[in-house]
Amino acid sequence: MTRPRTDLLLELADDELILGWRDSEWTGIAPFLEEDVAFSSIAQNEIGHARALYELAARDLGTDADVLAFDRRPEEYCCAPLVQAGLVGDWAGTIARHFLYEAADAVRIEALKASPDAELAGIAAKIDREETYHRLHAEMWELRLRDEPRFRAAFEVRWPLALGVLAPDLRPRLAERVGREEVEPVERSTPGTEFEALWNEMTMVRRSAPTGAQW
Amino acid sequence: MSDARTAEFLEFVQAGGQVETDDWLPEEYRKRLIKFIEMHGNSELMGVLPERDWILRAPTLQRKLALTAKIQDEVGHCQLIYRVVEDLGKPRAQCLDDLISGKSKFHNVFHYPTRSWGDVGVIAWLVDAAAIISQKALLKCSYAPYARVMKKVCWEESFHILHGRDTVLAMVTGTPEQFELVQEAVTRWWEPLMHFHGTPIPADEDPMLHWRIKSQGNEEARQQFLDGYVPQILELGLELPDPNLRKNEGGLWEYTEPDWEKLTAVVTGHGPASQERLAFRRLSRADVDWVSRVMLPEAA
Repeated sequence: MTRPRTDLLLELADDELILGWRDSEWTGIAPFLEEDVAFSSIAQNEIGHARALYELAARDLGTDADVLAFDRRPEEYCCAPLVQAGLVGDWAGTIARHFLYEAADAVRIEALKASPDAELAGIAAKIDREETYHRLHAEMWELRLRDEPRFRAAFEVRWPLALGVLAPDLRPRLAERVGREEVEPVERSTPGTEFEALWNEMTMVRRSAPTGAQW
Repeated sequence: MSDARTAEFLEFVQAGGQVETDDWLPEEYRKRLIKFIEMHGNSELMGVLPERDWILRAPTLQRKLALTAKIQDEVGHCQLIYRVVEDLGKPRAQCLDDLISGKSKFHNVFHYPTRSWGDVGVIAWLVDAAAIISQKALLKCSYAPYARVMKKVCWEESFHILHGRDTVLAMVTGTPEQFELVQEAVTRWWEPLMHFHGTPIPADEDPMLHWRIKSQGNEEARQQFLDGYVPQILELGLELPDPNLRKNEGGLWEYTEPDWEKLTAVVTGHGPASQERLAFRRLSRADVDWVSRVMLPEAA
């Protein structure tokens, strides 16, 4: 039995949304003004991708993108553990996550572009055009930080989480791409307390008015 | 000799002439430029902090994208403006050091806390409206590189005003609680907004006007702000907390004299959020200090 398309769309959209939300936390406080601007652009792109994916899912589910992004209960989100952690102040962790997520996402998008579902393939091609620049940015940073012990440590911690972003059949491609052996992945599961804290914050304004209020 | 040269320079800029980085600049002019432009850059950077708390709380995807982009613009302005300062002889790292040590200043409105989503709309609409009035007047600045940067800044700020107004409109036409969020924010921000353009110092006593760094007096800017925005605020059914605010027969706005001592206290680091903001910036800089050492070893 194949999974419904909306499951896949929500998984992708939740990853992009929450990573975008986390990246946007660097706005105003990145190590360089140039990085501030860069990370903010990346965050906006990821959230833009999430919106496009939610819109497609919303059409199938008879709802709208904002409802899917904000009005589900925390336990209904299906984002990968890799994107959930708050890493403000931890640039090594942020770059390790950025590099690994972009690598995993590249594998995932490549597979989606070949999907027999024309809408999915189309949206993947569109997303890929922007992700190309994210990858260049991430790879530039990885190259500069790869000999830093704190970066290597941050990378090690996140490698099993990065594998968990992908479906099992795509994991060998990620391992090959980053030149690592596969390890036991950290699978998607009900989001934990750190995600719940983020959810509380990201929905607090919206929840302060009755459902359906315009903002 | 140097006096005659200065007099000639002064005559040139007072007649509306603009100078470039490579031109000869009187030392006093250069110092005033650096101080003024640096404070502008500092303000763009510190202005990020009151709003960034709400990046995580934006209530729709569209608002999230708009607010993130708006704040990103402010960082971009800081980057451009610090480059102008750098060309005048003060490096960016030194500007940042002086900012976080409290040696240099930033604009009064960024010394205040934000309390609700109403603040997000009111800051983008009214604080940015007040700012664009000052910035438009800088398009005629005697220092041409700064004037050129202001073109991009003004263009982007005009989008911020639209984003702010749209955010406010959604709330004032929403539930009574949403309306109240805006009303409470407008009431709270009114004093800082009245302080924004500074004391009504006479034009002939303002050294910034003397050197044509600015081309508009403080009171003239405030009048322009009141004229443009008070009618819009009232039209939305909002109230302003000044019973003496009215336009007189001569077409000038009258208002209760703001507490100018309070303004001085605020911009010298005694505002309600001044120290907290500076501490936050020091802390966030300390967290990522190692990155500069790795990326720019020659600067360490």
